[in-house]
Amino acid sequence: MNPENSQSLTRRQVLQSAPLGFGGLALSSILHKNSRARSPLKAQSPPLHQRAKRVIFLFMKGGPSHMDTFDYKPILQRDHGKPLPFDKPKVTFAKTGNLLASPWEFKPYGQCGHLVSELFPNVGRHVDDLCFLHSVHGTNSAHGGALLKLHTGSDNFVRPSMGSWISYGLGTENENLPSFITICPTLAHGGVQNWSAGFLPAHHQGSPIGNASITASKARVRHIQNNRWTSGQQIKQLNLIHKLNQEHRQDLNEHNPELEDRIRSFELAFRMQTTMPEAQDISGESKATRKLYGLENSVTEDFGHQCLMARRFAERGVRFIQVTHSDQDVQWDQHGNLRKGHAKKAAQVDWPIAGLLTDLKTRGLLEDTLVIWGGEFGRTPTVQGPKMDGRDHNPHGFTIWMAGGGVKGGYRHGSTDEYGYYAQEKPLHIHDFHATLLALLGIDHEQLTFRHAGRDFRLTDVHGKIASDIFA
Amino acid sequence: MRNIPIRILLTLSWINLYGSDHWAFQPITKPTLPLVRNKDWPMNGIDHFILAKLEKRGIPAPKPAEESVLQRRLSFDLTGLPPRGATKETSLLQQVEVLLASPHYGERWGRHWLDVARYADSNGLDENAAHANAWRYRDYVVQSFNEDKPFNQFLTEQIAGDLLPDNGNLDLRNKNLIATGFLSMGPKVLAEPDMVKLEMDIIDEQIDTLGQAFLGLTLGCARCHEHKFDPVTLEDYYALAGIFKSTTTMESLKRPTRWKENSIASPGETKLAEKHNTLVEAQNNLITAFRDKENQVLLNSGKFKKLPKKPNLHYPETIRKKLEKLLVDLKTLEESKPKLDSAMGVSDGKVTNLPVLHRGEPDLAGNVQARGFLSVLNIPNAKVPDENSSGRLELANWMASPKNPLTARVIVNRVWHWHFGKGLVPTPDNFGLLGDSPSHPELLDWLAAKFIEGGWSIKKLHRLILDSATWQMSSSAQSETVKRDPHNKFYSRAPIRRIEAEAIRDTLLLISGRIDTSLGGSTWDFENRKLVFNHTSKDSTSYNINRRSLYLPVIRNHVYDLFQLFDFPDPNIMKGNRSRTTTSQQALYLMNSSLVIETARKLAVDNAGNVSTKGIDRLYNQIFQRSAKEKEMEVGRSFMEAFTVNASPQERFQALAQCLICSNEFIFLK
Repeated sequence: MNPENSQSLTRRQVLQSAPLGFGGLALSSILHKNSRARSPLKAQSPPLHQRAKRVIFLFMKGGPSHMDTFDYKPILQRDHGKPLPFDKPKVTFAKTGNLLASPWEFKPYGQCGHLVSELFPNVGRHVDDLCFLHSVHGTNSAHGGALLKLHTGSDNFVRPSMGSWISYGLGTENENLPSFITICPTLAHGGVQNWSAGFLPAHHQGSPIGNASITASKARVRHIQNNRWTSGQQIKQLNLIHKLNQEHRQDLNEHNPELEDRIRSFELAFRMQTTMPEAQDISGESKATRKLYGLENSVTEDFGHQCLMARRFAERGVRFIQVTHSDQDVQWDQHGNLRKGHAKKAAQVDWPIAGLLTDLKTRGLLEDTLVIWGGEFGRTPTVQGPKMDGRDHNPHGFTIWMAGGGVKGGYRHGSTDEYGYYAQEKPLHIHDFHATLLALLGIDHEQLTFRHAGRDFRLTDVHGKIASDIFA
Repeated sequence: MRNIPIRILLTLSWINLYGSDHWAFQPITKPTLPLVRNKDWPMNGIDHFILAKLEKRGIPAPKPAEESVLQRRLSFDLTGLPPRGATKETSLLQQVEVLLASPHYGERWGRHWLDVARYADSNGLDENAAHANAWRYRDYVVQSFNEDKPFNQFLTEQIAGDLLPDNGNLDLRNKNLIATGFLSMGPKVLAEPDMVKLEMDIIDEQIDTLGQAFLGLTLGCARCHEHKFDPVTLEDYYALAGIFKSTTTMESLKRPTRWKENSIASPGETKLAEKHNTLVEAQNNLITAFRDKENQVLLNSGKFKKLPKKPNLHYPETIRKKLEKLLVDLKTLEESKPKLDSAMGVSDGKVTNLPVLHRGEPDLAGNVQARGFLSVLNIPNAKVPDENSSGRLELANWMASPKNPLTARVIVNRVWHWHFGKGLVPTPDNFGLLGDSPSHPELLDWLAAKFIEGGWSIKKLHRLILDSATWQMSSSAQSETVKRDPHNKFYSRAPIRRIEAEAIRDTLLLISGRIDTSLGGSTWDFENRKLVFNHTSKDSTSYNINRRSLYLPVIRNHVYDLFQLFDFPDPNIMKGNRSRTTTSQQALYLMNSSLVIETARKLAVDNAGNVSTKGIDRLYNQIFQRSAKEKEMEVGRSFMEAFTVNASPQERFQALAQCLICSNEFIFLK
């Protein structure tokens, strides 16, 4: 159907175009935003105190360097060119040389005075709302393993994604949209596995909007549009399908939930044809908002568009929204060319992220929306590359920050050593990060289980310590 | 967590004591047929077991399904395609034989096994490299089902094909090598820098998959601790792990890591390739000698103190041209290198016994464990691995032994599951203490015993099941039946089944006259080991062919969207029990995808937009393989009349055809 038609479709039109009569209740549920029918995604109230209701995860693929962004290391600056005075890990991704000072200046921001590099001047203005987790560490030093670890908690087995676990735990606040949406995700390094429901019911699978090879303005959910029939014609089809299905079940003499669910699934699909494009349509946003997200600047336009979509989904009650910084070249992975590469990446995201934070705050959404920023790992303080202008992968200590959703602003949790190689104070493993994330959403990570292949699985496996010091 | 008897949670030794009493570890016995009151209902032994339970609960004997319903059920069941012109005169049994002899049977049942074998055309996980030779394993599986290869042999080939005698028969040897692709098919963390971890993860994946696939046991748990619920010890795990440590699955564990592929070339081809190699070598030598000579000339000329960095730039023009020609010839020669066919698979490596690793940590190594099998399933006189080979053949023989209580029960239950959509044991991949108990334990044992007696023939098992009143019953139930067996636990009516993703696509292609039913071979032109996705996320795989769905590439981490939507199993892990979810994305696919819209359009063109009742009847036959009822023709006609004022007859017909495809009757089998 063509989207203009679907948007202009009124209840009256639909009623007029339904001569076969879908039946009062079914027909009204096609139009009503919230169907009263039983839904597997029905919102659930969490067992613990809920600080955040939804998550926007800004994923910086490739591994941004913490020493060059949010984790200032004066001793590293001082010891530039010297060897690392302690052992490098037994297993590294590739060889590195001596210490490399950050080529960027840092300055204090906000009341808390947190030091942020000149790569993030606009995010810097929000430091009083940011909660820095400086001691995050994982176990895998390759992109694929690290992406899977971060998204699913396991780098060697197939497990559900954190967004799917959260959808499973909390359901959705808007039954006309998926509960877990991932905007322009990467298809490499785990691909679908990073938003897969694994063994959880399929409703909890992330719904991808486009992928990293598609610009945000062109990204769509697949098969959301019908180019053959108008919505009026589709209503007639749905009425007939409904009638055929009634006939089909006549001789069964019993209620069959699967057959009933299927009828409902067509109704929701029909509604999604309208709600999804509507949620993605930013044409009604003001000029000020467009500017806030950097849509008028070709450098920030694409990521800004993704961030703005994220806010629109957050407003509409989508539970977990992932935004992948999906630049077409090697993303944040600067084994060489750090100065140019990181400067380019940062310029693409700094303004839109700041805009998103401002916008969420203005709309009162930041209170119960948890914004997370981070990559699959950080980078080494030691140098790499022929021009001495690169850093290797470093899963042993790196920074993720959070904002809103019940976390302390202007707060730092843990630290890396004085060079930024290893997590040192209050180390926060990826499992701990997941446990803390679930706790912020009011879910006990030990209680959120699913029985599969003979045992009860958790996002945090048999691990996970909650970093409760970050709770506001 | 579900209730687990407290006594099995007490101590580890208790677990072993209790666990070995578990039903699945007891020898298979052949029970006598239970007595039933209604002597007319049973058609064969299966029905005695089913009816006895129904009678005990006062559930009325089920009615048989209608002929047209049965034909549709049978055709989808055995071939994954709708019935095509089965004549009414042939009996159901005759139809069974025709379908079992059709090559489409192997395509359907081979695909079932591929679910268990986590078959995929790419590695998935972190580095999604192409398995461009995986299709050889797929075709091997299909052929094995079509040939009705005895299941014990099928098992042995997949675990130890490379160790089987072949009497110099090259085809047999290649088939056996290809079969071991089963062990290599799992996803591997190809960028893993820690080689020890990489190797142990691969071994773990092999043990876990073969444990679930053949024995219905989750052995992977025992890598780090005694199995909490099943009587599998750390020692058992490392006894098995030693067998796979002594097996070569990877050609290189060091990056760039490479999985092993066995050559399946003929001696002639190999010889030709070797000859070609000597030619390349000779040309290389020629070039080196030429360069040495000319370099010496340069030095002798006195123009240079030492050889310049790129001496060829200083050669006289004629010499440069000569060198260029030699290099071009070398390149041509290299490019014309004959390609040798190879297949993913394993071979024996260095025989090694592994130490027991507590918590799976290489740093916490305990005593060395001799290679062997599971201590709870002690089979008298089973040959244990010796020092001359990995022990895979001994493992395969132990698994395929008629005395192994699990293997026959597990496969018989799988076959039952694939016929009925549910197993006698509802957890087909888990026969352990946390799996569900069988609903009809005596029937399971009776079938397993018959199966072994029948030489492990899968086709004989099909005939037995399909020729039962149990399989042939109707899905509609009397209210008394529904009251007494609300969840259909006792087979009081046929379970309603949804056709799978592959069958949906194949049927759409078939009814719109587009399907290409050619058999086997590779349909995917992609360089072996090349990444199917890199950082650009561009999808370079095309699904734009009309071959049966079995032949579409299975790309891990990015399965073809129709498959993903309709519960195709995640090809990263084995799965004998596909999920069956109902989502609005499925509805969107049926409403809006080009596959469905185009199918409906073709049907409309095919019927020349014939909006008469005759046209509707034909449409019902094409889509549902039955005639339209009076009332249905009337409903169809009024739908088309009222569709839209200015729509053409063909458009109206297309809209109707799409409704039939979206309806429950298309996707559910009664």
